[in-house]
Amino acid sequence: MDNALLLEARDVSKYFGGVHACDGVSIGVCGGSIHAVIGPNGAGKTTFFNALSGFYYPDRGQVFFAGEEITRMPNWRRIERGMSRTFQTPSIFPELTVHDNVMLGVRSKAGLAFRARPPSREQEAALERRVDELLGFVNLSRFKERPVAELSHGSQRLCEIAMSLSTEPRLVLLDEPMAGLAESETERVIAVIRGLHDRLGLTVLFVEHNMRVVLGLAERITVFDRGRVLAEGTPSEIAANEAVRDAYLGREVLEHV
Amino acid sequence: MSRGRIFVLAAIALLALEPVMAPYIRVDVTIVSAALLFTIAAMSANLLLGYTGLPPFGNAAFFGLGAYGCALSIKYLNVHFITATLFGMVAALLGALIVAPFLVRRRGIYFGLLSIAFGQVFYFIAYRFTDVTGGEDGMAVPRPYLVVSAFTFKETTFYYLSLAVFIISIVIFKLIVQSPFGRTLVAIRQNELRVRYLGLDSNRFVFVAILISALFAGLSGALSAMLNGFIAPLSLDWHQSGDFVLATILGGSGTVWGPLIGSLIYEIGRDIISTITPYWQIFLGALFVACVLGFPRGILGTILARVGAAPLSNEPEEANWTQSPAIVADHRG
Amino acid sequence: MLEHAGPQIFNGLVLGAFYAIVAIGLSLIMNLTGTINMAHGSFMTLAGYLAFAMIARGTNFWFAFLAAPIIAVLIAVIVERTLIRPLYGRDPVYSLLLTFGLSLIAEEVFHVIWGANTLPFAPPASLSGTLALGFMNFPVYRLFIVAVLVLAFAALAFFLYYTRFGLRLRAAVQDTEMIAALGTNTQLLYTINFGLGILLAGIAGVLAVGLLGLNPTTGNTLLMPAFVTVIIGGMGSLYGSIIGGILIGLATSLMTLYVPAASEVIIYVLMAIVLTIRPRGLFGEEGLFG
Repeated sequence: MDNALLLEARDVSKYFGGVHACDGVSIGVCGGSIHAVIGPNGAGKTTFFNALSGFYYPDRGQVFFAGEEITRMPNWRRIERGMSRTFQTPSIFPELTVHDNVMLGVRSKAGLAFRARPPSREQEAALERRVDELLGFVNLSRFKERPVAELSHGSQRLCEIAMSLSTEPRLVLLDEPMAGLAESETERVIAVIRGLHDRLGLTVLFVEHNMRVVLGLAERITVFDRGRVLAEGTPSEIAANEAVRDAYLGREVLEHV
Repeated sequence: MSRGRIFVLAAIALLALEPVMAPYIRVDVTIVSAALLFTIAAMSANLLLGYTGLPPFGNAAFFGLGAYGCALSIKYLNVHFITATLFGMVAALLGALIVAPFLVRRRGIYFGLLSIAFGQVFYFIAYRFTDVTGGEDGMAVPRPYLVVSAFTFKETTFYYLSLAVFIISIVIFKLIVQSPFGRTLVAIRQNELRVRYLGLDSNRFVFVAILISALFAGLSGALSAMLNGFIAPLSLDWHQSGDFVLATILGGSGTVWGPLIGSLIYEIGRDIISTITPYWQIFLGALFVACVLGFPRGILGTILARVGAAPLSNEPEEANWTQSPAIVADHRG
Repeated sequence: MLEHAGPQIFNGLVLGAFYAIVAIGLSLIMNLTGTINMAHGSFMTLAGYLAFAMIARGTNFWFAFLAAPIIAVLIAVIVERTLIRPLYGRDPVYSLLLTFGLSLIAEEVFHVIWGANTLPFAPPASLSGTLALGFMNFPVYRLFIVAVLVLAFAALAFFLYYTRFGLRLRAAVQDTEMIAALGTNTQLLYTINFGLGILLAGIAGVLAVGLLGLNPTTGNTLLMPAFVTVIIGGMGSLYGSIIGGILIGLATSLMTLYVPAASEVIIYVLMAIVLTIRPRGLFGEEGLFG
């Protein structure tokens, strides 16, 4: 893990009416690390992700990506810069096949999406190879021609991860990747997330409730509570943190550390 | 040869033989001409509604701009048929360039209401600019001469002209929706947020879609003006836009051939029913209500769904207006 | 020129009040269920025709004035339960299309029953003539219109903010699921809400025909400006509808005096300006309808 901060949030705040969904949050994510964000429901984690990824802009504070300020950059441009994101409910194209779902991102990266003329044969072949590569990475190759709506929840999430990889990001934001998954599916997704880091060398920032997963995967953890950062550190530091234990972790987790 | 291709060829053959069949099936050539031109306008609505997922209720303005642009160019510049059509299309495109920047940042019903509003602006301009447009009474469109001016402008000649333009239009339409650009539009309809999170500025795509839609509508307007020999401001009213959308939904929005089916039903149905009663609008409205409630995919859409080749059509989906407020807005507000 | 401004300003206020009440009716229906009611104008016209029919049969104006909107509401309730209810939860485009279809049917039905010509609809003698108030003469009928509409606004505000039912309605706009979970019959709420919107439309309709004449499209001429009012005032804001309505009513009226050719398009120009500077409308809430 190199020391350069790939993603940095400084004093990011977002208010909805009178509610401070996110209040003065500052976080640094090192390039090449797996960083988890945990906290009770409503603690502001998704709001924070939304501000990071340009779903909306923060009311206060700044966001930096690879040294560049992106606080008010349109979301699609952040993707061009190398960010990508998944959502709590898989954000995919429900009426298309798995292949078509992934192909759009591949085409976008290749700069061929805003075209009237179909790609040439060589271009098309290269695009198809890339789609196969991505589907292979998440182990969905056998579903390539199936309508994505027919897939299980877990497979849809893997499809979404493949889509988020199609734009060749440097940082992947995963918003509750395990949400709604069965036990068996969870293992697959964990393996893929680990693969993002180990095999592809990507930086991963993920929100998660499943503490076993978090402690197993993360190199660094940030704990949210009521819109603010409660604590930050390595898994053992966090597990040992009194305030975190009181607010959030509870007895059962201590048994695992 | 696939089943789809057979149907298409059969349809074109039938249409080509229409002037011969006309006396027997009692459907006049001018009605089918009107239907073919109406289809082109319905296709313009289809591109926005069925493929991009936006309700286009201002396309009558582009239709009208096409008609007036064409008519005025014939009246003052005495151009021939093709140039007049191009004038009409350019007029429609200019109108779209003015309106699109406002429309492009809106989605859903806001888009629909705004498009109606802008359509109404053009309507009132046509209404008030009496010196130029003839105001409420409309203006007569003199018949332009064709490329080969030896041709007389008979009904049948114009019919084959309309058929040719229609075939060209539908080929172009098919190319557009099957192109990478068109496929992105379809993706926008299904999940615009994800399109943006794949690094694409969806607003750019919507902007161009509006321009293309205006060109089709303008083409239809120009030719209709020449067919009818007449154009009036009412053709720009939003009810006319509603009729284009109606034909699209009836036939099947999100399908290439749906608008043709819807337009044929609209024009031929109106012709037949109005011989029985002058109140055909009641039947049209009732048919529309039944369609929206019962088979929102339209005729072709429902058939294709049954057959298994699910079209890229409007499936009733959960209202998603709680979706991101920030997808496209500039956050100045 | 300026001595004409006075009456025009008053006319503008009258017009603005109309736009506002129609806009509020539209807003109520839109905010709760996402239904875009393109048939709103048809209900206004319907109330006008019902009043006309009753008066033609000898009922007095006041009775017809009260009864017509109520009958229109009853018809609206039937329409809501049978045709509009299936569309709740779907994309608002469907409701727009369905009510558009209904407006086509309605227009033709009026045509069948009453003909296409504008029917004379004179207000009763007690409301005709002018009243001299200070520096200007005010047509009594227009004063009556203003009085009725202001009363309607006040009654609506009272209903929404000081009654339990109004509270439920406002709460439902915020969070329908929560209200349902708390035991409210949401279907009934939707129906009553729709009826309320149509009641306002019906009142406006009966008043309007005395001013604009009665033909199959009278209501529709108020519909688009009402939508513009909603857009300018801001979706979700009833207060915005009042301000917006007055704004465009005045603009239209003054334009008719000074630049007649622009009198119809001025509202759209204003709308474009507002949308550029403040996309959510003057008092709108962000995010409603994108």
